[in-house]
Amino acid sequence: MGEKKKIMLAIDESDVSHYALEWALSFLKPTISSPLLLFHAQPLPSFSYVYAGYGTAPTELIQSVQEHQTKITEALLERAKEICAREGVIAETLTELGDPKDVICAAAEKFGVDLLVLGSRGLSTLQRTFLGSVSNYCVHHAKCPVLVVKKPA
Amino acid sequence: MADEEVRERRIVVAVDESEQSMYALSWCLENLVCDSESGNVKDTLILAFARPPRTVYTALDGTGYLFSTEVVDSMEKYSLEVAASVIAKATAICKDLKHVKVDTKVGCGDARDVICDMVEKVGGDILVMGSHGYGLIKRAFLGSVSNHCAQNVKCPVLIVKKPKA
Repeated sequence: MGEKKKIMLAIDESDVSHYALEWALSFLKPTISSPLLLFHAQPLPSFSYVYAGYGTAPTELIQSVQEHQTKITEALLERAKEICAREGVIAETLTELGDPKDVICAAAEKFGVDLLVLGSRGLSTLQRTFLGSVSNYCVHHAKCPVLVVKKPA
Repeated sequence: MADEEVRERRIVVAVDESEQSMYALSWCLENLVCDSESGNVKDTLILAFARPPRTVYTALDGTGYLFSTEVVDSMEKYSLEVAASVIAKATAICKDLKHVKVDTKVGCGDARDVICDMVEKVGGDILVMGSHGYGLIKRAFLGSVSNHCAQNVKCPVLIVKKPKA
């Protein structure tokens, strides 16, 4: 094996993401080059439920929802960074706004990562058809190899 | 640092006749497998190949065709030859590994199920496979082994696509 590789780990608030992080840190330790990129895709806030009552969403509401989302993101990324530090891995955190599927693939390309690591919620085929699967999409569309981690039952 | 326990990793790589899976194997050797004598990681590489099953043609077939035993035997012989050549090619790619144990396993049956069963039997920590990179329509007709394995295997799956030159 040659030099270490640039690895990006896409996380969200789910349990399986946390498991994927821990697993990646232990299994991929020899391969990870510093820094490990931790990426969180912030979903676009949806205001469709507000229109019924107000007509247009008031600016304060939009702002407070966005601030709340930013806080969640920061807390999540900080916690992940701490877990990495505990294992002796330096991590760099990144976040983008948008649909997770597209944003993760775009970020992986932008940073030229060698490996993308994702958790998979383990949806059934029917659920996948309706809810869509981020990990499935990334496997097909990312330019780099993708590692999908599932939480063992 | 000296008393860090040795980490054993069992890496299963699914191979078939395609170039994509050989590319996945070489990528795995370059990027994942640790071939160092010292260091606290001990890797075992398991190459898994799925041989298509022997098709059985019944005499109750509407067309009335029944393959003679000679034809069936020669098809079986061909399938065994393909298996041997794929394993030989894969082993040749791995021949420079000095501190990694390389194991080969051939299973008979539908690739999807064979790979999933083999990973479980062998106790793999990670499954590495190539992907044909079919589009949506081809996938619907031909099915995707990598897709099925990624959903059904218990351990993490790494899918390596060969970049289009």
